[in-house]
Amino acid sequence: MQAKLKDRITTTEAVIINVNYVLAAGVLTLPRTAVEAAGTSDVWISVILCGLLAMVTGAVIAKLSQRFPGRTFFEYIRFIIGKPLGFLLGISVAAYFLSIASFEMRTVQEITGFYLLEGTPSWAICALFLWVALYLCLGGINAVARMCRLIIPIAWGIFLGVSLLSLEIFDLNNLRPVMAEGVGPVWRALRPTALTFTAGESLLFLVAFMDKPKKVMQVVVGGNAIAMVFYLAAVVLSIGAFSTDGVITRTWPFVDLIRSFDVSYLVFERFESLLLAIWILQIFCTFCIAYYGAALGVSQLLNIKFKHCLYGLLPLIYIVAEIPRSINGLFMMGNEIGNWALIVFGILPLPLLVVAYFRRAGA
Amino acid sequence: MWSMIMRFIPSWSVLLQGGFIIGFPILLTRAMSWIRISDGRLGTRTRKASGRKGGGVPAGIQNGAEKDQTHLKNRDQGDEASDQSQAVPGMVYSGRFAEDLQLFKNISDDMADINLRELRIGSLQLRAVLFFVDGLTDKDGMDRNILKPLMNAVRPFEGMNTAPEPQALKDIIVHQIVLVSEIEYTRDPVKSLEKVLFGSVVLLVDGMAEVLILGTPKGRTRVGEEPVSEALLRGPRIGFNETLSDNTAMLRRQGQNTELAMISFTVGKRIQKELVLTYIRDIANEELVAEVKRRIRTIDVDDVQESGFVEQLIEDNFLSPFQQIQNTERPDRVMAALLEGRVAILLDGTPFVLIMPVTFGMLLQSPEDYYDRWYAGSLLRSLRFLAASLSLFAPALYISFISFHPGLIPTRLAISIISSRQGVPFPSLIEALIMEISIEILREAGLRLPKPIGPAMGIVGGLIIGQAAVEAGIVSPILVIVVAVTAISSFSVPMYSAGITMRFLRFLAMFFAATFGLYGVIMFFLLLSSHLLKLKSFGVPYLGMIAPNQIRDWKDFIIRMPLQFLRKRPALIKPKDPRRKG
Repeated sequence: MQAKLKDRITTTEAVIINVNYVLAAGVLTLPRTAVEAAGTSDVWISVILCGLLAMVTGAVIAKLSQRFPGRTFFEYIRFIIGKPLGFLLGISVAAYFLSIASFEMRTVQEITGFYLLEGTPSWAICALFLWVALYLCLGGINAVARMCRLIIPIAWGIFLGVSLLSLEIFDLNNLRPVMAEGVGPVWRALRPTALTFTAGESLLFLVAFMDKPKKVMQVVVGGNAIAMVFYLAAVVLSIGAFSTDGVITRTWPFVDLIRSFDVSYLVFERFESLLLAIWILQIFCTFCIAYYGAALGVSQLLNIKFKHCLYGLLPLIYIVAEIPRSINGLFMMGNEIGNWALIVFGILPLPLLVVAYFRRAGA
Repeated sequence: MWSMIMRFIPSWSVLLQGGFIIGFPILLTRAMSWIRISDGRLGTRTRKASGRKGGGVPAGIQNGAEKDQTHLKNRDQGDEASDQSQAVPGMVYSGRFAEDLQLFKNISDDMADINLRELRIGSLQLRAVLFFVDGLTDKDGMDRNILKPLMNAVRPFEGMNTAPEPQALKDIIVHQIVLVSEIEYTRDPVKSLEKVLFGSVVLLVDGMAEVLILGTPKGRTRVGEEPVSEALLRGPRIGFNETLSDNTAMLRRQGQNTELAMISFTVGKRIQKELVLTYIRDIANEELVAEVKRRIRTIDVDDVQESGFVEQLIEDNFLSPFQQIQNTERPDRVMAALLEGRVAILLDGTPFVLIMPVTFGMLLQSPEDYYDRWYAGSLLRSLRFLAASLSLFAPALYISFISFHPGLIPTRLAISIISSRQGVPFPSLIEALIMEISIEILREAGLRLPKPIGPAMGIVGGLIIGQAAVEAGIVSPILVIVVAVTAISSFSVPMYSAGITMRFLRFLAMFFAATFGLYGVIMFFLLLSSHLLKLKSFGVPYLGMIAPNQIRDWKDFIIRMPLQFLRKRPALIKPKDPRRKG
């Protein structure tokens, strides 16, 4: 008896989990990282391209998972490439989820420390975050799924409102000219965008929980399309307000965007507190999904009780999160994780699918 | 190379903090499981441990496996059989006494409030039986006008040694014996049951295939007064009272329905009390009913003094601050819940009826939402949701904005708040605690006082102390506004018990805010949501309404759609018949 695989989630829930997993800290930083690489304002094209690309890789992963109904990646990988290799790959995927969780938590710690709580020791911030996440994840995938559903109306509503308000300082000229320097900048921005926009990996274990695994393509397409809209909005609005030069100089361009306008006719003049609040909720969701994935992986690979894994991973996540010494270190860590994801989830699933096909593993 | 690796080795303090991060939840979990284990040792709660419906009912446990539970009446053992007997079409009374009696018993099997009175008619000693519902029938009149003449009937049967033909017998009874003006005849058992439930007395005589329906309905002797705890502007003015038969009769009056089951249990080891489980047979989920029955049987105390005892002994999670069973004094509310597929428990000696399972939305809904037009219902509901969240988070937000992020307040407002707080000698947490605690004391004191003094207390406490505290410079005027708004908001929660939960959680939120500011409030929200998402009431997710599986459950959540669109019962409870018949 490992993790409870008798829990089931509906297709809508799977879409929502997928979207919540993709939407995370990246929205706050993507405008900067993308523009840094491209140098022009054409990055929004890269975002769209990346979204489509993520759909393709996501579809490959989904196809792979569909071959083994009711089994997670950690269980079926050894049927494809054998036990030792499968174990290694499984551990590396679990470690990836763990480092994603660490990364998200460290981001919360940095944002909170910078904007909300200057004097509070960072470990206390992390401890609270981790404990609440542990409490939620002990409720299983259903609790996580419902939490995502609960947060969506709040988070998306505020995001939409804040985005509309920021149109006040939006200048379309900052986005022009389109493709002035050809496709070069678009190409260069593709990599940093892809780093934040890896989407398929949550499907590695989500499909096993779905009550109708046949509809997994809906999850891939729906999830990525919705997430793409958010990233697109963040990039376009930030560049439109600050121009490319302004975006590069800001650590969290999207937060600064919300800070940079006053609305005197509403109760709040500034909305960054609201935005930060919902973004902490959003990152919490991503964190919980990644945390859940990591614990599930460890539990299934090493045959340990799932709940024990949840407890055991807590300090590990914290220690990994504390490795970067500064915020630049954190961004470097994000880059490394993204590179890793590109290899493991962007390139590797296709050969796996081919091998599985020829070895006739799975259904 | 070495320094490269060294950079990744965490420092001692990080390791120590990591240890703390894992240590605390493990300790907490240990403590919780210790509490649960001791609960399992002392109580009977753990018997509901496994299965689907928040415990679930393993097959075959209802009748066989619980023989040690001697205190349950035999009546409810047979209720599984009743569904089959219900289904026989076209059954009629045969005229053979024992068979007819059994037939009627079968169709009324899980209605414990139907009484039988066997008797012998007159000098011929004919076997007969009267069916009536306690509390609906005029018992005095029945004794005087039906029982007495029937038993004393000597003259009409003069010169007869055997029973006359059915037709002649009927004529004799109707024309010469029974002193009742309204009489009907029927051979249809279901119709006779309907009439009984309506308050008539049904007379079944040996040898007669037709039963006599004698009209003796009467109102209840004591009129239920308007419930104090749940006042309404629009809606029935009637509330339950302390007599069980009155209460069951009141429910019968609410809905004329032959499917309304009332199953009687006896609870309490030393002082036995009657408890009635009621549900609508063709709506309520069987698994739910079985689970509730099973939990009722696990009640093991000397005396069940009030339905609150039942509530606490059968709820899912006794560590949760949220009530998982709703109590109400209003028959219309109970009926509405039954029609949604829930079940209710009535206890003798208390006007408070328990409704289960509960979802979070129910705590903020009032029957008026349905009686008024849908605009009004929807708007009032949204208002209540706003008020509930205000009463939960307003002081916490005040504390976090004042002590941690004055920069996030609009500038002019911040200036006016700061200037009004200049003389206050306490940090904002202490300031808020002073006011919140004193208002809680006021509220509690006002509740206990006799009615005429209560309002005076409110004025003295609320107005004068608040004013004086501001003038003395102990608290800021803004805080008085916040506290007042909070208190008023918490009164708008229609359920008193739910209001208590809010009050308790408000203080928790304040402590979170005082340590972590806005971040703490967000984390508190997440913690609360996590708890609610995991909480179940009789197998139904507590927050099911907010995050429903089917969007159509939202039609009746914050917005109350027009009645004609509410064509389906809440899918969450999995009723047998999902459609409200239109």
